[in-house]
Amino acid sequence: MSSDVRGWRVALVPENLINPTQSATKTVHACLRALEASDYGVLQLPPTPEHGLLLAVIADQVAEYAHHGYAVVAVGLRSASGDGLHWRRVAPLLRYRGTTPPPRHVIRPDADASLEAERLSSFLTSYDLPEEEQRRWRV
Amino acid sequence: MTGTLEPLGQPAPRKVALLANCLLNQNAKVCEGARYRGVVNPVVEALRSRGYVLQQLPCPELAFAGARRWWAVYEQYDTPAYRAHCRRLAQAIAPLIERYLRQGDEVILIGLDGSPSTGVRFTSSQPEWGGRPNRPQDDWEIVPRRGVWIEELEAELASRGLPPVPATGWALDMGRFDEAGARRDLEEFLDGRREHNE
Repeated sequence: MSSDVRGWRVALVPENLINPTQSATKTVHACLRALEASDYGVLQLPPTPEHGLLLAVIADQVAEYAHHGYAVVAVGLRSASGDGLHWRRVAPLLRYRGTTPPPRHVIRPDADASLEAERLSSFLTSYDLPEEEQRRWRV
Repeated sequence: MTGTLEPLGQPAPRKVALLANCLLNQNAKVCEGARYRGVVNPVVEALRSRGYVLQQLPCPELAFAGARRWWAVYEQYDTPAYRAHCRRLAQAIAPLIERYLRQGDEVILIGLDGSPSTGVRFTSSQPEWGGRPNRPQDDWEIVPRRGVWIEELEAELASRGLPPVPATGWALDMGRFDEAGARRDLEEFLDGRREHNE
């Protein structure tokens, strides 16, 4: 085995971004395309915060990445019911695992599509671990 | 099964694809095993273009053996502790899957053929593996059976009285990876489902 090309970047994302509703705006679709074209892998959150065991399982995975040289972010999608990241449940689960909750970016579905996709791309591109941390882990 | 209806991409009945975790996140792969930077776009494109919504499964190996684990074969993961871990993950995701099935959604599973955990049609086998991972590159075998995680997930769904989910695997861990062949294989499976349903 050789030539591992992983991107070393992971994004926590809400259900309604991975699976846009039929009424989703062009902006949501543009941002989804930007996300999938980035070097980030994604971790899909459940649609509601009641899936506590699944959130705990996801928190285990985020902690493992965060402790071993991966850049982790959270990308929410603004809606009437929140941003889909279930932060009141997720953040304590991460802290309990010794992990600082990752930086968050929230997509504005009513903003201009190309500008919002560019804003997301810029956030994703610009975030990474300090070079010292990258050298420590990414061999 | 929880009571309230949850927002998902389409009104029911929907087409739902359960995806091996690493098909949306190659960072979950074992060391030296990632063939894409992040999302495995050929799989996602094939599913989206056919109207599937995506449901990512947890990665059992990452949370059990860590991000820096060595590669392994079926026999090394076929332990009581690992199976108990897989059952916990299955219990975490099963309520969502049960909801889809009870609503009448068409649910399929796309695993990772050749994987000791997530293999669907094939898994990797070599009963002699163990200790320092310095074996020659190709001395494991590909055998036709489920990986440990898929076995436990299917057992959990069966215990809830749910029907078997049609399944196939993206052939990423079969030795030499042939993306064009894997894509053809997946598309044949998906289009076969469409013909089956018409």
